[in-house]
Amino acid sequence: MKHAPGPALEQAPPISAPLRFFLSAPIFGLMAAIILVVAGPDALISRWAPITLALTHLVTLGFITMAMMGAMLQMMPVVAGSPTWRPRLASSVTHSLLCLGVVALACGFWFDRAGLLWFALFILAMGLVFFIVIITLSLVRSRVRSATVNGMRMAVISLAMTLAFGLRTGAEYIWQSQTHGVHSWTSMHLVWALIGWVGLLVISAAYEVVPMFQLTPPYPARMQRWLSQLMIALLILWTGACLLPLPGWLLTLIGLCLAVALMDFAATTLYLQNHRRRRRSDVTMGFWRIGMISLLASLFLWIGGQSSPTLAAWPHYDLLLGTTYIVGFAISVINGMLYKIVPFLIWFHLQSRHIGQTGLPTVKEIIPDRRKRHQMLFHLSALLSLTAAVIWPEWFAYAAGILFAVSFSLLAFNLFAASRMYVQTRTSLDDPAL
Amino acid sequence: MKPEQFLDVNLLEPPEPIERILSAIEILTQGSYLRVWIHREPFPLYDILDREEFSHAIHPGRHSLFELFIWHGHDKTARGLVQDVIRSDEDNSLHCHE
Repeated sequence: MKHAPGPALEQAPPISAPLRFFLSAPIFGLMAAIILVVAGPDALISRWAPITLALTHLVTLGFITMAMMGAMLQMMPVVAGSPTWRPRLASSVTHSLLCLGVVALACGFWFDRAGLLWFALFILAMGLVFFIVIITLSLVRSRVRSATVNGMRMAVISLAMTLAFGLRTGAEYIWQSQTHGVHSWTSMHLVWALIGWVGLLVISAAYEVVPMFQLTPPYPARMQRWLSQLMIALLILWTGACLLPLPGWLLTLIGLCLAVALMDFAATTLYLQNHRRRRRSDVTMGFWRIGMISLLASLFLWIGGQSSPTLAAWPHYDLLLGTTYIVGFAISVINGMLYKIVPFLIWFHLQSRHIGQTGLPTVKEIIPDRRKRHQMLFHLSALLSLTAAVIWPEWFAYAAGILFAVSFSLLAFNLFAASRMYVQTRTSLDDPAL
Repeated sequence: MKPEQFLDVNLLEPPEPIERILSAIEILTQGSYLRVWIHREPFPLYDILDREEFSHAIHPGRHSLFELFIWHGHDKTARGLVQDVIRSDEDNSLHCHE
């Protein structure tokens, strides 16, 4: 039988391959929240404070990159029609190295241990290079030319750039411990990480998942065709301008173009959600809305900082930018998507194994809406508290830490409960006598 | 049982259309088929239908983006009925997968 081009789920990797990433992500989020509770206001004084660097990387690598790597391993065969090399082995190796590397990096920053930081850089480099090579080989083999797959290609290039600049930044951080001579490399590291790796992958996934799950009209064809390509071109140009170096106004102009591109994406997503074909909203849509509004807030704040030196010099400016982009945008969207991906994976693998059998849970039963909604309220409260804590750390830092700890614990509970349901259903259907 | 069983899963969020279709085909008998209004191609369903030895045909619909027909793979009567229905539709862009 020959089908029209489309997702090829029969090639999907074993459920354990992506699921280990999705289950680990909230654990790292919880670790970051616990550090915030332990360190309190000290964690929110400066973005350069070791404790803040530990916390940031637990979130960006441990939660965001962890979930995104799991999603990519799942998406390669399904969306790009090109399975990854030995998915079970590849996922075990990359997942183990990432977990070990993130813990070592966070401890290295927190306890100021150069040896631990070197170890973390080595382990993370191995894990991420291995992941990049595996995904690149699959992407090269893929014959799919969709906007999503093209966006994934650019996201992987961005991850490679993030890693390269991250290693350079890390090495300089260790050699010149406690000095501030690494800012330009840091800027390149974080711009490629946040706008390239995170931004491009969210955008390219959105082209598929927003119309599919939120029943919106599709994204405009012109946007799907050009936005990601424009953004990667601007990122390359910006990097060149940083390295040469070219005049500051050129950097600002390129940055402004990138901000407008991201604003276009956020505004279009909100517009499409408001014109969805089915009026009922759900938790994932709520998370996407929080994400898009935070993204817009972050971009307006950045533009404000470029036009007002007073705002840019405000002591809380950098941390506020990071909070709105990383926590408000990236974590919200990924949290929301986990509530679609994990139940769908569990449902699909159970259906594939036990077709026609009674006793299979429906997708809505795998994680009940009520539990997802509770967690979203905690996430939103935590985000608002953290935003306030960046400005008034003494007042809100502990509250933000506690609320995030509750939010990530609930997310972990919901995902683990879903996985437990998968194991129990499989066991009872494989051996009904049990 | 009437030869045509009908299901409208337009604008349901994935994988609810597939869940409802799988429930509906359980009661299909010899000589009957399921006609589904659906707003996007349910790709994951096709593998399941193949394995369960159901045949299907999908073509652009008038009331929904697609119309999907499903019948037992060995059921020649149902297959003939589906072909008649599809032929009577004026759409030429038929993609029949069996």
